[in-house]
Amino acid sequence: MSKFSGLATGKRVDGYVSRRAQVLKAVMKLQARLFFADPQWVIPNIIAPFIFTLVAFFLFGGQATSSSFLLYLVLGAGLMGMWGTTIYGSGFSISFDRFNGTLESTLAAPIPLSWIVIGRIVFNTLQGLLNAVLILVIGLTWFQVGFGLVNPPLFFLAAVCTFISLAAFGLVLSAVVVLSRKGGFITNAMEIPVYVATGTMFPISILPWLALPFAYFLAPTWGIEAIRLSAIQGYVGIGTGYWTDLGVLALETAGYLGIAFLLYKKVEAYAKRNGTLEEY
Amino acid sequence: MSKQGPNPAYAVEVRGLTREYTTRSFFGSVSKVTKALDGVDFAVKRGELFGLIGPNGAGKTTTIKILTTLLTQTQGDAFILGLDVRKELYEIRRRIGIVFGGERGLYNRVSAIDNLKYFSDLYGVDPAVARERIPQLLKVVGLEDRAEEKVEKYSRGMKQRLHIAKALVHDPELLFLDEPTIGLDPGGARDIRGMIREMKSQGKTILLTTHYMFEAEELCERVGVISKGKIVALDTPSALKGSVKDISVVELRTYGATQEYVEELKRLPDVVRVVADLDSEMQLIRVQTPQGANLLPQMAAKLPNGARIIDRTIKEPTLEDAYLRLVEE
Repeated sequence: MSKFSGLATGKRVDGYVSRRAQVLKAVMKLQARLFFADPQWVIPNIIAPFIFTLVAFFLFGGQATSSSFLLYLVLGAGLMGMWGTTIYGSGFSISFDRFNGTLESTLAAPIPLSWIVIGRIVFNTLQGLLNAVLILVIGLTWFQVGFGLVNPPLFFLAAVCTFISLAAFGLVLSAVVVLSRKGGFITNAMEIPVYVATGTMFPISILPWLALPFAYFLAPTWGIEAIRLSAIQGYVGIGTGYWTDLGVLALETAGYLGIAFLLYKKVEAYAKRNGTLEEY
Repeated sequence: MSKQGPNPAYAVEVRGLTREYTTRSFFGSVSKVTKALDGVDFAVKRGELFGLIGPNGAGKTTTIKILTTLLTQTQGDAFILGLDVRKELYEIRRRIGIVFGGERGLYNRVSAIDNLKYFSDLYGVDPAVARERIPQLLKVVGLEDRAEEKVEKYSRGMKQRLHIAKALVHDPELLFLDEPTIGLDPGGARDIRGMIREMKSQGKTILLTTHYMFEAEELCERVGVISKGKIVALDTPSALKGSVKDISVVELRTYGATQEYVEELKRLPDVVRVVADLDSEMQLIRVQTPQGANLLPQMAAKLPNGARIIDRTIKEPTLEDAYLRLVEE
């Protein structure tokens, strides 16, 4: 009798939602295992947030006249941490498979590639959230920042929406990286300008007018505004108000998701037409 | 005239498959078009073990990529289990398994069991079935004792056995094995060949590509020889060998033979082909000739000073001899 006889077989997961949920869960579990298996991730996730916070406090903290300004800094540093992790993870989401030699196996799976990438990006953004929480903890404990939120439910809502917008933006970037071998350069080049353009460390009103359209196009600009409005007493910011900021954030997030959907359709067709996705 | 649909007797059916690669200049204009496949036709019966052999760059990998839905053809039709590779890719992917040769295709920093769990989820295997099937598969491929170890600690042979388990995790009907024994030691390669036979005995259809002629001869019911993007022969290994029954193979083991000696042999009358391995201290030279042993005195006479023949054997032509004739014609 063959060694391969008598192996368990049975039904498959077929429902549209359950199938995608199965894939998202599997991808996130694998990402978590790979994360813990590789010590290099300590740098962007543990050391980098610590550095961001230190830099922010040494740059501005000495001039702080109120605890609200310190909270302003801590929230900005938290968003920087989230953004850094998201952009790093998005740029690397497919390159990782190229380096690892698993891209063919990933592409050969009976599920659209975008769902595998979504799982990775959600995990990366969750890492970014952890990163932001760590920055907050450092700020609260070491630098004695007061964390008296103006409106905790609205703060939570703004934080969740910002989280989703970062994931959506990460999805767009990951598609760009897949489509162009120069994509890695693009994502690397975007890391620092976004820190500047989204007002993480200072108000965007002091930016030159040419930079403002770029700042308004980026969802984190609106996300950090809404977060600060709901957290800091007397914060005015751009002056558009919490709900307007959140509305623009939602619109831009929807735009990112639409762009990502179109790009991923192109990615799948491109991969099949050119067969060069494994090259790097 | 309407296009002919797939034949239900075939697990793989390929008609006029053509694939061109276009290279573009910096400004986007077409600078070069390379034809990797040029009107390939073949079919694999359900339950058959079919071999696709050919030199590097002949079109084997391009064919496999199209059949596994990873690449689109420029022209022609390809059906897998009656499904069109251009239109029904996700259904095809669910029903096929792929074993890539070499080190590709596994997450090295996690365990074998984590790899199999991940791919079973990607392929939509019910988690309850996977919980039962994965340990069974690891046992079958002989990895049950090291299932929790990181794959990076595995030997090349163990990784290849894990590749087999991975390809079978979703119980596919059709398997594509792309050079599954490449880089393995003889023992590891023998294990993999044993598993291929076992999978075949389970009724799986298998399409195997290989560089090793003895492997194709030993395993495959039929073999397609691909060269320069075309199928140049398709038959059973014994029938293909029959195409070179007019020749014998004189196999010489020599000491001190040089490339000049090989060139001298090629110039002898009635020598069809000479294949030589001169890299080691003792050289192996295979001479295809219709004269057989009659040519030995002339071969000995051409030896350079100090060189000698240590052993000589007259052999029946193998699939490799047939293959060499086919791809060089």
